[in-house]
Amino acid sequence: MRRLIRYGVIVAAGLLAAACSSSSPGGGTGGGGGASGANSVLTISNENGALWTCGFNPFNGSDTLVSVGFVYEPLVYVNPLQNGATTPMLASSWTWGPGNKSLVFNIRQGVKFTDGTPLTAADVAYTFNMLKKYPAMDLTGVWSVLSSVTQTGTYQVTMQFSTAAVPWFYYIADQTPIVPEHIWSAISNPVAYPDSHPVGTGPYEVNPCTAANITYTANPHFWQPGEPHVHTLKYPAFTSNNTANDELANGQAQWGAQYIPGIQAFYTSKSTAFHYWFPPVLNVSLVPNLTNPLLSNVKVRQAMAYAINRPQVSSIGESGYEPAANQAGIVTPTYTSWLDTSQLAQDGNYAYNPAKAKQLLAEAGYHMGSNGIMVNSAGKQLSFTVINIGDYSDWLASMQVIVQNLKAVGIQVSPENLTNTDYDADLFPGNFQLAYVEQETIGPGPYYELNDWLNSADTAPIGKTAATNYERYSNAATEALLNQYASTTSTATQHSIVDQLEQVMLTQVPFIPVTEGVDWYQYDTAAFSGWPTPGDPYAQPPVWAYPDNEQVLLHLKPR
Amino acid sequence: MAIPLSLGQPAGEPRRLPASRALARMGRAVRSNHKATVGTVLLALFILVALFPGVIAHDNPSLDAYKPHLGLSTAHLLGTTAYGQDMFAQLVWGTRNVMIIAFTVGLATTGIAVLVGVAGAYLGGLWDSSLGVLTDVLLVIPLFPLLIVIAAYAHGGGTLLLIVVITVTSWSYTARQLRSQALTLRSRDFLQAARVRGERRLYIIVMEVIPTMTSLIVASFLTNALYAILFASSLQFIGLGDPDTVSWGTMLYWAQNNAALQTGQPLWAIAPGACIAALGAAFALLNYAFDEIGNPALRPVRRSKRVRSA
Amino acid sequence: MRYALRRLGFFVLTLWVALTLNFLLPRLMPGNPALAMMGKFHGELTPQSLNALEILFGVDTHASLGSQYISYLHQVVTGNFGTSLDYYPASVSSVIGSAIWWTFGLVGVSTVLAFILGTGLGIVAAWRRGGRLDSVLPPVFVIASAMPYFWVGMVLVLVFGISLHWLPYVGGYNVTGDTPAFTLHFIGDVLSHSILPALSLLITTIGTWILTMRNTMITTLAEDYVRMARAKGLPGWRIMIDYAARNAILPNLTGFAMSLGFVVSGAILIEYVFNYPGVGFMLLQAVQGEDYPLMQALFLLITVAVLVAILIADIATALLDPRTRAAS
Repeated sequence: MRRLIRYGVIVAAGLLAAACSSSSPGGGTGGGGGASGANSVLTISNENGALWTCGFNPFNGSDTLVSVGFVYEPLVYVNPLQNGATTPMLASSWTWGPGNKSLVFNIRQGVKFTDGTPLTAADVAYTFNMLKKYPAMDLTGVWSVLSSVTQTGTYQVTMQFSTAAVPWFYYIADQTPIVPEHIWSAISNPVAYPDSHPVGTGPYEVNPCTAANITYTANPHFWQPGEPHVHTLKYPAFTSNNTANDELANGQAQWGAQYIPGIQAFYTSKSTAFHYWFPPVLNVSLVPNLTNPLLSNVKVRQAMAYAINRPQVSSIGESGYEPAANQAGIVTPTYTSWLDTSQLAQDGNYAYNPAKAKQLLAEAGYHMGSNGIMVNSAGKQLSFTVINIGDYSDWLASMQVIVQNLKAVGIQVSPENLTNTDYDADLFPGNFQLAYVEQETIGPGPYYELNDWLNSADTAPIGKTAATNYERYSNAATEALLNQYASTTSTATQHSIVDQLEQVMLTQVPFIPVTEGVDWYQYDTAAFSGWPTPGDPYAQPPVWAYPDNEQVLLHLKPR
Repeated sequence: MAIPLSLGQPAGEPRRLPASRALARMGRAVRSNHKATVGTVLLALFILVALFPGVIAHDNPSLDAYKPHLGLSTAHLLGTTAYGQDMFAQLVWGTRNVMIIAFTVGLATTGIAVLVGVAGAYLGGLWDSSLGVLTDVLLVIPLFPLLIVIAAYAHGGGTLLLIVVITVTSWSYTARQLRSQALTLRSRDFLQAARVRGERRLYIIVMEVIPTMTSLIVASFLTNALYAILFASSLQFIGLGDPDTVSWGTMLYWAQNNAALQTGQPLWAIAPGACIAALGAAFALLNYAFDEIGNPALRPVRRSKRVRSA
Repeated sequence: MRYALRRLGFFVLTLWVALTLNFLLPRLMPGNPALAMMGKFHGELTPQSLNALEILFGVDTHASLGSQYISYLHQVVTGNFGTSLDYYPASVSSVIGSAIWWTFGLVGVSTVLAFILGTGLGIVAAWRRGGRLDSVLPPVFVIASAMPYFWVGMVLVLVFGISLHWLPYVGGYNVTGDTPAFTLHFIGDVLSHSILPALSLLITTIGTWILTMRNTMITTLAEDYVRMARAKGLPGWRIMIDYAARNAILPNLTGFAMSLGFVVSGAILIEYVFNYPGVGFMLLQAVQGEDYPLMQALFLLITVAVLVAILIADIATALLDPRTRAAS
């Protein structure tokens, strides 16, 4: 017995000693923001849910976020937060040909890959033609609008379009990283090529990569002299949200892309240098299946749009992180310059108005049933199911508010909280009555999201997979507007078309935007300056947004 | 969630008594044993709250009706959640869901255990061996991971799924205990007498054996109810229940998702957990008290007062 | 010997039942839950990997149930559990390896501590029947054993982690600050991160040890040979340990075997609360990410670990206690 006690005491003493000697929970050795330029270390906090595979193939969907912007660059940087303001990168200038059927890029001279080989137009042409040869690598589908890409000079590339596609400039110039021909032409199967030691033109090199952490060091041959100012980046692999959030809260990581509940209490209260900004980029919408006989009645949809208390969903469901959306479908303040406020005002701004909702339902032939649900003369009740992603607790909470709002006007909605895969399996083929949806791709203007929703090319019959137009909307007049937009470079025409698209949203209510989805972004100004802020939105701030992340990295300076 | 406290059968064989006398004896024992009294009072309190939640809490537990993050006040006894729901109302209304699970699973599981255990002991032979092996195998397979896997394949489910899944997997421990006791009873005189009288086997089992095992059956019910609560709230906590139901486990789920501890809302996580602990303690105390009642050797020793001899 | 063989036979039987359960469950659920998951994988896996997953879940195969079963058993025995969805394209077996050690350390250390402390306290409580320890301990630990594991963890997080800032409460080690290496610094980091989770596990499991040891000690102390030892005039300590405890501890071992299932449940929940990177946490993440291959393999791993532990405990009991050998 005494021996046992003795051993127990020794073990306890050892534990205590270890606890005292190791890093305290608050501070930490290494990983913190470094001091001078040569020693500056920036640590990133972005929970990816898995360990790193150490593959950097920029055309592999799972690897893009760690390779593009760090190692690889596009031709032009287009800023979605500043209405598509452009910054020439690997292309120094460009011109549209007659009728916007062709596009000529002049490639920047004096750029070298990390192995010393100079960049020429041959690399650009090779990259695009490789995407044509291997459609699995064409992540944005540029070859659906391109007909040819040819090198027309040592530093000049000409692209021919098969159809009017001016908005596709974003995907071609901004979203396509340029890879070196002399390396990729030797790869027999570039689709599966891991690219563990990537050679690119970007500001950083991978040095080294382990399953738990990627370290990037500054590229000494980078074509912008003096850049980048931050010498080392650390990108740990976080498998759980809590750990990633914790690293931000104790200052060990400085650049976050995390959803943090109760962010003031959890994060910003810990230090005056901790800040966050959530720029809105896409709508999170209640989407009706327009083939449903009850939902095909526009008055029912309008009633729903008036019945939902968007500010309440925003403050309760999203803790105020995601602002209320508007029925015109324009994300504000990001695209405020596109919003036609007078049109919106004509419909009372579609502001929360349960009385108006009930009135619209009455006009549609519904009256309140004895069970509190609206019913029409044929005996059909306004009772629907809505599919939602069970993993997103903020969407669950938002849906609870929406359900309560709709119940108050007699529309019963029962949520089906599904796993991600089940949700997709129901959403894509149109196996739903209502759905809570946020689109996936951002663009430098409201056209991109509206096009995803309203273009009949992106829909499919019930039972087949729709690309982005899940509600099965199809209207010839709207189609003509979208095509017209695609063929013009005149901003005046573009604005006029978007105004008409807003009118479509207000009168036809193809879907109901509820809140505005945001980019999660946290930053620590103690050791680094030059962060994107609401006053200076020079790029989309999250680390996974490419190639915006490169712009952030080029702006950052150690203090 | 440690192992149940009545390991093996109580020392000293149970005396044969008519059911009514046995119950009266139990009542007296409960009153005199402190642990049993505390346990009974706690349990009764929870049952009352589950039956009449509206009397105590006037707010709708799921409506996002108030300002979020409110602290304690007379209007909101425990404050509000991050979604503006009254936490006290959620706690009170959640009691109903928990009690339903506890009693349904407790009864169903004990029923299955009685069936399997007693039948095995009495049918003997191949029946006993196969039922015994089935029981032992289920006993050894780790239950919680199995529950997780089943609930995961079912993509999480409501209360009914939880009840079914937990019942189907947790009867083996008490079945084993009941079987051991039934086996000891087989050779007892009063049962020999019944057999000699010519009573049918089913009559013997239902009218003679089971009433004698009343205290162990009650103890089994308490054990099973306790584990039902712990398993069900654990499954709800990790997100495999239906997050829209009002229950203590789902309160914990939402609290965890909102980092309640780290954002200065500790009550949201601590209060439902404390309720689970309290209800669990009620069942455990009653169980422990039954152990003591059945095995006098375990009863607390009363210190004898030294009497000064004159 | 016969006893050991019988227990081994039981072990194999239970393992077979677990494997069969694993095989049947996805196929029994209405609408195979793995269907949607497989849809995600299509086009990304080699035909062999795809085939391996189809065998595991019974998707898209036209083979009969029987032949599926044979292929499944064959695959499992060769250690092929398919490709992980969460950790794509890593294979499930490679992913599990990293997590095992964390759980092993956590559960192993807390169980040993619980055993030592709990048994010790139980012995002392029984020895001093009617004393203060004896009247306080049982009700306290009855209540402690009914507390949900995760709640104890949360309370510890709140008190020692958040309010007092004494100990870390997230993860197994400091991910940004440290790289895994055999340095004193790293080991210290790991130890400090393990204190709160181990303490939670300890608090909730120690109650059983104390109470069962106390109960069996009380029964043992009433035996004749103990009375004989007292009559012989042996010192109290000696009787307590050499005579009574040695015999009382054996039923405890079988109890340990049975309680292992609950210790495992506790470990899963505590790893979840502390984000401790062990097998339990990985299981819950696999569930959330619908990574069914990983989930299946982890379930089997946990079952096998529990079975092996029980087998060892059974054999140890047989070796130490001649009564068990004679009884069988």
